[in-house]
Amino acid sequence: MANILVVEDDKDLNAAYKIILKSEKHHVKTAFNGQDALELLQKYTPDLILLDLLMPIMGGLELLENYSIKDHLNVKVLIFTNMENSPEVTKAYNLGATRCIIKSWTAPQNLSKVINDTLKINNAQLSLN
Amino acid sequence: MAGKTSQDYASQKALTDTLFNSIGDGAITTDGYGHITRINPTAQKILGYSENEVLGQWLPRILETYDKDGIAISLIERPSTKAFVSGNIISDRVQYKTKDGILIPVAMTISPIIIKGEPVGCIEIFRDITEEYEIDKMKSDFISLASHQLRTPLSSIKTYTHMLVDGYMGTLSKDQTKSLKTIISATNRMNETISTLLNISRIESQSIAIIKKSISLNQIIEGIVKEHTLFTTEKNIKVDITDKIPGLKIISDPNLLKEIFQNLMSNAIKYTPANGQINVLIRMQGNKAIVSIKDNGLGIPLDSQDNIFSKFFRAKNVIREETSGTGLGLYVAKGLLNQLGGDIWFKSTEGKGSTFYASIPILPQKKKMNAVKK
Repeated sequence: MANILVVEDDKDLNAAYKIILKSEKHHVKTAFNGQDALELLQKYTPDLILLDLLMPIMGGLELLENYSIKDHLNVKVLIFTNMENSPEVTKAYNLGATRCIIKSWTAPQNLSKVINDTLKINNAQLSLN
Repeated sequence: MAGKTSQDYASQKALTDTLFNSIGDGAITTDGYGHITRINPTAQKILGYSENEVLGQWLPRILETYDKDGIAISLIERPSTKAFVSGNIISDRVQYKTKDGILIPVAMTISPIIIKGEPVGCIEIFRDITEEYEIDKMKSDFISLASHQLRTPLSSIKTYTHMLVDGYMGTLSKDQTKSLKTIISATNRMNETISTLLNISRIESQSIAIIKKSISLNQIIEGIVKEHTLFTTEKNIKVDITDKIPGLKIISDPNLLKEIFQNLMSNAIKYTPANGQINVLIRMQGNKAIVSIKDNGLGIPLDSQDNIFSKFFRAKNVIREETSGTGLGLYVAKGLLNQLGGDIWFKSTEGKGSTFYASIPILPQKKKMNAVKK
């Protein structure tokens, strides 16, 4: 059971992730762009951010630039995007993302598994490597 | 030849000069020390130098060369040095700095000039590809955007279909589940096509992101074989993996390697008849790991072998036997392997089977020039 912030602009997918994660007994908050997410992050620290990259108003990369992962080593960032093998994914890793998975390849049951695996990763070790 | 007069030589030289100056692309020749001996009018126009300014000058000093990211190419890495030293024809795309200090992208071919077996200089032919660069970039941006836009609704279709199948919305009948699984399988196929398109666009624009990690090839191959269990079981195909370098970790991109071996494995399964056999061998050769995938399937007809890595190419016997397939899998596999500093080749006999070999550097490598076969 973890606190998860879903940041996804597609409202159908946002709702779907909420249903899937709640069924796994996680506490879920949702945002539809980076700016809304940043506001939430000012008063709440999740265990994991499920983060889309391409979003209106503020995208995932800009959110990572504003929300320094170095200062929040307990927060895992799981990038959930359809931009595989793209320079944006490299940038996300450089900005402290813990893992990256391809949205349209991931079935709901895999999503839960990936989230549980990501929660076990130690961000501090990741940045040392 | 007896009886040749100085007038004959003069007219022959005039003819050679005319021929050289008539070449529509930029052309420069150098002597064995890299000094410029000729430059044609097109080269002068592209580079902004007059003939008098460059004749006798040392080519690397006059013509600074940069890679596509604008990083200066060292003397030893310059295509002209490589052509002269290796004796091979070298083709590449680089950027030249003009007299005005502007970088212009060029496609170039450099051939060593060999007289009586000795290299005495080089001839360099190049053309300005600024427009092609811009069109390529637009094409690549368009494909990236279109692929992303196609995938967004596909993600919703797939997620909700899976949620239905997995019982998030209540229990379904067997027929309902079967129909939904058909939808999932179709969305997976569409996803594969989009991935292939994206990869082609990124390979061709050389903008593929490579994220290297320490990985075990064995784990990757075993994972892929496991993912294909459904198909191998269906056709009763036996897959054996032999790892001659167990425990060896290489530094490479696991996601790209997965795509490469997924393509090779799915081809091996697709083109191997029921009750067939696939042998995967992982071994080391020099500073590279070699993975070979051997099947006893259809094989590749001799007259198709030269084109097997070409885009959209499908061998005749495969078109007869098997309707699905885009002819892009091997093109993508080769493109991705080349980006990782590796290579791919094969041995095949029609009716007996094929073995595909993939070589992967164990440690990261620098970009290589493309040597063209003479």
